[in-house]
Amino acid sequence: MSDTTNSSGGESRRGFFGSFSAWLAALVGAVLGVGPVCVGLYSFIMDPLREKTRPRKSRAEGSADANGFYRVASSDEISTDKPRRFTIVADKLDAWNFIENQALGAVYLQKNENGDISCFHTTCPHAGCSVAYEQDSNAYHCPCHNSSFKLDGSKLDVGGSTNPSPRPLDKLDVKVDDDNNVYIRYVDYYTGKHDKIEK
Amino acid sequence: MFGKLYKWIDSRTGIQESLEEALYENIPGGSKWRYVSGSMLVFAFMTQAITGIFLWMNYSPGSQNAWASVYYITYNLEGGSLLRGIHHVMAQAMVCLLPIHILQVVIEKAYVKPREFNWWLGLVLMKITLALGLTGYLLPWDQKGYWATKVATELAALPPVIGGYLQKIVVGGQEYGHFTLTRFFALHAGVLPGLLVGFLVLHLAMFRKHGITSHSSEKRADQMFWPMQVLKDGIACALLFALVVYVAIIHPAELGPPAEPTEPYGAARPEWYFLFLFQMLKYFDGSMGWNNEFVGAIVFPAVLFGFMFLMPFIARIKIGHALNVLIIALTVGGAGYLTYEAVQEDNYNLNNPDDIDSAAYKKAAKFHAEVKRADTEFRLIDELVKDYGIPLEGPLALQQKDPYTMGLRLFRRQCASCHAYNATGENEYLAIAGPEIPATAEGPMGAPDLYGFGSPDWIKGLLSTGENGIEGAKYFGNTSHSEGEMIAHVRDTMWAEAESDEAKQNLVKMIEDVAWALSAEARLPYLDYAGNQDKIQAGIGHLNDDVLGCVGCHNYKENEFGYVFTLDNYASSEWLTTMIADPNQIYSEDLGTSNDRMPAFHSDATKLLTEDEIELLVRFLRQDRTLLGTASPEVNPLVDDASEQENTEEAAESTEENSEEDSDSEASESTDESSDEADEATDESSEEDSQESDAATR
Ligand code: FES
Repeated sequence: MSDTTNSSGGESRRGFFGSFSAWLAALVGAVLGVGPVCVGLYSFIMDPLREKTRPRKSRAEGSADANGFYRVASSDEISTDKPRRFTIVADKLDAWNFIENQALGAVYLQKNENGDISCFHTTCPHAGCSVAYEQDSNAYHCPCHNSSFKLDGSKLDVGGSTNPSPRPLDKLDVKVDDDNNVYIRYVDYYTGKHDKIEK
Repeated sequence: MFGKLYKWIDSRTGIQESLEEALYENIPGGSKWRYVSGSMLVFAFMTQAITGIFLWMNYSPGSQNAWASVYYITYNLEGGSLLRGIHHVMAQAMVCLLPIHILQVVIEKAYVKPREFNWWLGLVLMKITLALGLTGYLLPWDQKGYWATKVATELAALPPVIGGYLQKIVVGGQEYGHFTLTRFFALHAGVLPGLLVGFLVLHLAMFRKHGITSHSSEKRADQMFWPMQVLKDGIACALLFALVVYVAIIHPAELGPPAEPTEPYGAARPEWYFLFLFQMLKYFDGSMGWNNEFVGAIVFPAVLFGFMFLMPFIARIKIGHALNVLIIALTVGGAGYLTYEAVQEDNYNLNNPDDIDSAAYKKAAKFHAEVKRADTEFRLIDELVKDYGIPLEGPLALQQKDPYTMGLRLFRRQCASCHAYNATGENEYLAIAGPEIPATAEGPMGAPDLYGFGSPDWIKGLLSTGENGIEGAKYFGNTSHSEGEMIAHVRDTMWAEAESDEAKQNLVKMIEDVAWALSAEARLPYLDYAGNQDKIQAGIGHLNDDVLGCVGCHNYKENEFGYVFTLDNYASSEWLTTMIADPNQIYSEDLGTSNDRMPAFHSDATKLLTEDEIELLVRFLRQDRTLLGTASPEVNPLVDDASEQENTEEAAESTEENSEEDSDSEASESTDESSDEADEATDESSEEDSQESDAATR
């Protein structure tokens, strides 16, 4: 089979692209095949990469301030003995919908003896599951692949099993104003990397 | 290098052989330009499939999302307008190519023995293509597609016995809704293209079996399909694509206002290539007994289709072929004529501007008015979407809170039989004509034109004489007030007493001040009160001193000797609300200034409008576009008034702010603090501040 194709191949190929019109026909055909696909691919690729604009009258206080800080709590609500989970609520743009007061994500907040507030992202740095504080062990645990973290965010090895997380829990910047409002600079980080890299 | 790679691939795939198989088809008489129509149809379909899949990646069927996602595709998506435009225009190109291809086949006698099956396959492909057009028209879920498709699906109910079931199956239930869209979408993007591909494969296989039908008498050498015919096909398709892209850029696919089952759209027309069917139905009006809708919409097309199906057999009898050509030509010609007639009917008013009183003119004028109304509604929803985004409940939820969209609808329905709304300038698109004035009417007709009601300009007109003043149609019209004390005072006292030019100029100046002072009572959000403090203060002085004689009849601030309605808060929200809800609370019956015929719209006795509807109407009249459920901006017209306990800066600031922004935080702070999450969806006013307390919830 391959022998016959080889022996006759050279000749018929010359016959196939044997003239200028043949090359032109192939070219036009190729352009036509690709044209509509290009139009579609352009939208498909470029739209997700584009910076989306929010509605003109969306209220500024519904989302983060210029530096990316969201108000999450009043400092009285944060205790010293154990971390508490708070939801970040903001106005969310989802394709054509603009939805007010949506939960963007969650953080754990805790105060130390000096009243300084620490804040951790609830997303596990390993592969993105959601970590939870567990009272019994007084630590953060991830339900997916056994990552655990101490209350200061550092990695914790429990019962001999290894901790697959590449880095400690992600700490977020905290700001408290004169009226005891607690603001968090809420950002997401890429998981699975050794360094904290903002998304 | 390339040769070697090709050889390597070919020896393992046999690509060379397949290509030769596919492309070395003998064409008797050689390649011809007129053989390109089939390839163009295939190319058109391929383009539709590709652009369709990319549109699919952004489209969401369902009555809340369909319009919203198509809006996104058309106006936000990167390259989306072109993508949708190509899909939209290519669909029409495909429908144009179909009759060309069919006519060619018929004229070249390519449908007769032994090509019967290929002819039938072609007929099926035609039906599928038209079905694709029909189903696609609905998917944007705008008023046009919704109402046009509704007519088409209503026709499905016509066949006796099964009709009712048939329609429910097509629509996905009793009512138009999510299921109509999910079904139409599955048909449009799945079932129909799948069938089309299947039948196309068979069609092409049959074509290959029988070859091209050639009747050329000139002796030209045969050629292979490759390369000359491929090149010709390719060039034709490339030209088609270029043309389609060009048209898609020049005339991007439109989107109307979102579909609304309770807002009938008077200009619903099917896509132009179905217009002939639409027009034909007008002839099946039952006037001759037998020619009812069922016959027109179903029996007649079915008979025609049946005839086309039998054409290969008819061609066997002697004059059969000639008959076939005749009937097909008549069909295409007839469809063309009906399309022309439909367009002419809709444009009768444009083509016959003098024939104003004819029914045809009125009908066409109404059609154009509806088109314009849809344009206005689209412009309004477009602004709303840009301002607020589309809520989860869909675009209708936004419209229903918008004083402009709803104000226009309510005004048209409830007020326009007496009042006009002759908006001008940048608001011209909001204009509503007042009542039609019969030629026999003596003198002006109708109640006041309410555009700019309460503004200094409006009040100045009221205090002037002549055609544009209190005597004209814009104000008292031919209501009983046109012979009342107000007009008598303005005309026979105020203006009659100002004899010298100087006195007249002085009067004009005073009217200007008084108009601003009265307008300050209205606290209209679009006016620059801060910049006209002098006039307002002077006007207040004139009113208090009764320079123009206003407070002889009206109450005003401390002047409480009047017997006609008070000028305090004139044209304010509260005043307008009362006026619309129950005008007799404003007019004083006892004193001869009674209400002429303004009905109460929300009193103990009648509930023609709900409270929300009145609020929307009031905001519309005040050109205050704050969404229902959000507090209107506070307007403080008196910058220096100590009694208002406001300092200059704050007031000036708030006036400025208010003219631009709808929701200010001050207004919302007074609202309910304890709103829980369940309330949020419905209670707009509490949303503003609930964000803070919600943030703290676990
Ligand atoms: S995602 Fe948390 S351990 Fe893997």
